[in-house]
Amino acid sequence: MARSWDAIVIGGGHNGLVSAAYLARAGMSTLVLERRYVLGGASVTEEIVPGFRFSVASYVVSLLRPEIIRELQLPRHGLEILPLDGTFTPLEGDYLWRTNDHAQTMREIRRWSATDAEAYEEYGLLMVEMARFIKPILSAVPPDTIRPDPRELLPLGGLARTFAGLPRREQTAFIQLMTMSSSDFLDQWFETDPLKATMAASGIIGTFLGVRSPGTAYVLLHHYMGEIDGAFRAWGIPRGGTGGVSESIASAARANGATIRTEAPVARIDVRHGRATGVTLESGEELQGKVVLSSADAHQTFLRMLEPEMLEPAFIEEVRRHRFRGSSGKVNLALDGLPDFTCLPGPGEHLRGAISFSPGIEYMEEAYIDAKEGRFSRRPYTDVIIPTLVDPSMAPPGKHVMSCFVQYAPYHLNEGTWDDARREAFGDAVIDVIAERAPNIRELIVGRQVLTPLDIEQTFSLTEGNIFQGELSLEQLFFNRPVPGHARFRTPIRDLWLCGSAVHPGGGIMGAPGRIAALQVLRSRRLAA
Amino acid sequence: MTAERGRTRYAYDAIVMGGGHNGLVCAAYLARGGLRTLLLERRGQIGGAAATAELAPGVRVPLLAHSVGRLRPSVARDLYLGRHRLRLVAPQVRSVTLRPDGPPLTLWGDMERTASELAAESTKDAAAYTGFDRQTRALAGLLARMMAMTPPEPSRAGMGDALGALRLGLGYRRLGTQDGRAFLRVLPMPVADHLEDWFDGDALRATLAWRAVRYSAMGPRDAGSTQTFLADSAGTDHGAAGEMVFARGGPGALADALAAAAAAAGATIRTGAVVEAVRTRGDRATGVVLSNGEEIEAAVVVSGLDPKRTLLTLLDPALLGPHLGWQAGNLRLKGSVAKVNLALAELPRFSGIADPDEARRRLRGRIILAPSLAAIDRAADAVKGGRTAQRPILEATVPSLVDPSLVDDDAPAKHVMSILVQGTPYHRRDGDWDTHREALGDRVLDELESVAPGIGRLVIARQVITPLDLERDHGLTEGHPLHGEP
Repeated sequence: MARSWDAIVIGGGHNGLVSAAYLARAGMSTLVLERRYVLGGASVTEEIVPGFRFSVASYVVSLLRPEIIRELQLPRHGLEILPLDGTFTPLEGDYLWRTNDHAQTMREIRRWSATDAEAYEEYGLLMVEMARFIKPILSAVPPDTIRPDPRELLPLGGLARTFAGLPRREQTAFIQLMTMSSSDFLDQWFETDPLKATMAASGIIGTFLGVRSPGTAYVLLHHYMGEIDGAFRAWGIPRGGTGGVSESIASAARANGATIRTEAPVARIDVRHGRATGVTLESGEELQGKVVLSSADAHQTFLRMLEPEMLEPAFIEEVRRHRFRGSSGKVNLALDGLPDFTCLPGPGEHLRGAISFSPGIEYMEEAYIDAKEGRFSRRPYTDVIIPTLVDPSMAPPGKHVMSCFVQYAPYHLNEGTWDDARREAFGDAVIDVIAERAPNIRELIVGRQVLTPLDIEQTFSLTEGNIFQGELSLEQLFFNRPVPGHARFRTPIRDLWLCGSAVHPGGGIMGAPGRIAALQVLRSRRLAA
Repeated sequence: MTAERGRTRYAYDAIVMGGGHNGLVCAAYLARGGLRTLLLERRGQIGGAAATAELAPGVRVPLLAHSVGRLRPSVARDLYLGRHRLRLVAPQVRSVTLRPDGPPLTLWGDMERTASELAAESTKDAAAYTGFDRQTRALAGLLARMMAMTPPEPSRAGMGDALGALRLGLGYRRLGTQDGRAFLRVLPMPVADHLEDWFDGDALRATLAWRAVRYSAMGPRDAGSTQTFLADSAGTDHGAAGEMVFARGGPGALADALAAAAAAAGATIRTGAVVEAVRTRGDRATGVVLSNGEEIEAAVVVSGLDPKRTLLTLLDPALLGPHLGWQAGNLRLKGSVAKVNLALAELPRFSGIADPDEARRRLRGRIILAPSLAAIDRAADAVKGGRTAQRPILEATVPSLVDPSLVDDDAPAKHVMSILVQGTPYHRRDGDWDTHREALGDRVLDELESVAPGIGRLVIARQVITPLDLERDHGLTEGHPLHGEP
């Protein structure tokens, strides 16, 4: 008879690994099953072009919870995050360049608008305050909205008290953040179009919304909640790519006694008498577990890995309603040298941070309207980084890798499908946008990988290519994530839990869902974390 | 009640600025409560957006708003508006959505009738409509209770607020598990998503989505538009179909009834009185100054004007302080609607409704021209970009079908049509309104031609009111009929 595990974790992405590390640390015998040959899920490094290593999907890190880094001692397991310096927005004949050097950034913004420079400081302080206020919610368990448990309401009550104690202008700003569009929100402070567009861009990442869509201001805040070494809203790249994060968590999990198997795709979750009892692999192998945690998204878990008769039809209906609508693509380039921008020629510090192709609000909105009409943006918003400038180990000496995050690429096309021709046409549109500002890019490219939402779905098992395992829209957050009434990491099947970005607090390389889910499992089994 | 405050005696206990329907209601209640109340209206007539205008000799038309469906029954009761000759007419039909190449889609007040007609198109949608109407009533019911409360001040919530919250909490509990969860899920949703969860038919989705975005710069794909949809239901009979209520004699009759009620309660109403500034002492309002220099003192000043105008043009900026001034300046009032009124020689023929009697029955509510959900979204996108929509969304009524008194027997016209046009931004980058007024009128008629061929030949008189006109002639800042985005 096969060995029985205390816990089986489906999926070796960063959240699955975080869960496993916590469960193993508490003494549970834990097995992680990863479908692919490599760990990390969408937080993965792969050698796509010989000698060139890419953060294939997610490419920067900031939101990774500090308590996870501390509790799992990730630096000891090889985690090292290298800071990215600033954001460069190339324009026709000009640019907007914000860096971590405050004085320099102020001078730069003043060059565009004196009032914007003044507002920029005020805005930055306000957002940091807002993020500080909302952050406790990231480690809270969403309450049951119908029969709330008073103990779980306690931290939320604390939040309400903090809110009541905030200065009135911060209260107003918070309410605005929850409801406004990022464009309208930023209009209150700024007049410089490229500044607004570049800032607004973080409000649309991973969503099927535009900068003028109400609800995007919240995502703006979501991206302010990151910190590196206690420095708020700093973004960095892990040494060795985002796979480096996953590797360090995997190493911590193993050190705690967890077993990790790759190339072990789960075909279904076994259920007996309404209880999860283990999983069956695609190979036919059966594995028994006292609890099963799925880090896959709600569609994968409930609609693919479970027989429909095991769930109530009403619940299945709710799961089907959960919205994915992937909207992003990725273009990874192997380069022979560095791009040369017409507006600021030569190599330089401006290439060491994010390079944002977001020249104006209208440009961003046009990109979105294309997606609403069911086609990829003809002139997409593109967020570029060149990791080799910070971490040269990613490519052979003198060569570079370039990571381009692109929006919008809708999963559902109005005409045709995401076939090879369309994938390459999408890649070309991205190169065109970059070449407009850095014409030498074309001759530098020695290798190129284009990921459409369909590719993201097929490679990473992310339904409809949604990078957050379900849209981060207001109705799919907190006590509604992934579905109302089942937002507390438990599922209608006893001993089956969710631990991926599909549950609160959602996506980004944060690890919070994996951690809270594991702690809830431990609590249910009366084990100390 | 005394007008003492400190040692000063005021000429009035209360001054209400603005004689729109809200100003009138406020003045009537204050006077009823025993306050010596003065209402000041800038224009020659009271009513604001609730006005009836003569479009041609003997032909009257709702100048701006055409429905008075959101008038709270409690207000009508408290102020005895019936005694003041207000007669409301609510037709059986709530809305009819016209399509150039198909039958009309009709929403009736009678839910069963609506469902049975929907069945001709989709049995699934017909079945879903019953459940949707039930859920809408439940959720809008709770929302209506919220809307009837004074919003709490987050930093200084008092016992009253706590009691209100408790009562709301109980209302929420009464929704039960299913509706309770739905309430928390759907409020922040785009109404397009909400409707796609329920229905397949695009015309049905567009008809319902229209109510969510009417008067606002929002599109149906914007987060929060489900809340505005439910709020519209909450403001009427709570149902899915929405409501259409005419005041006999046009919306001006409502203004007249309110003014009569206010006067009967003892309020004084002055028209042609332009308030130039609100007088203050310390942080207290003490009265107003009129444009002719006249100063009137009062213990309380109430503004029926929009907050942007009130705070930024009537108050001393130093008193307001930089922060509130900045906030008021940021109030979003991007008006996006215009109005076209027509006098028609006879009732036009509408596509899909061949029988004239049938037409008379079906056209008594709102007549909606929204080609699809995507078209409503495109119109909103155009507004956000500062352009007039290629295809504006229209909501027309033919009030003369319900209220023949609007057209005199010997008038050249037999009917009037009141058309709300959406997709026309006040802030337009593609030209100015003064030179594009008639072009807008033409475009609206083109749209109407698509469902009412030949209507152009029946037009005897036409009136086009652009968002700029709404501001200039009716004091609606940036032409926003709601005094601000919802």
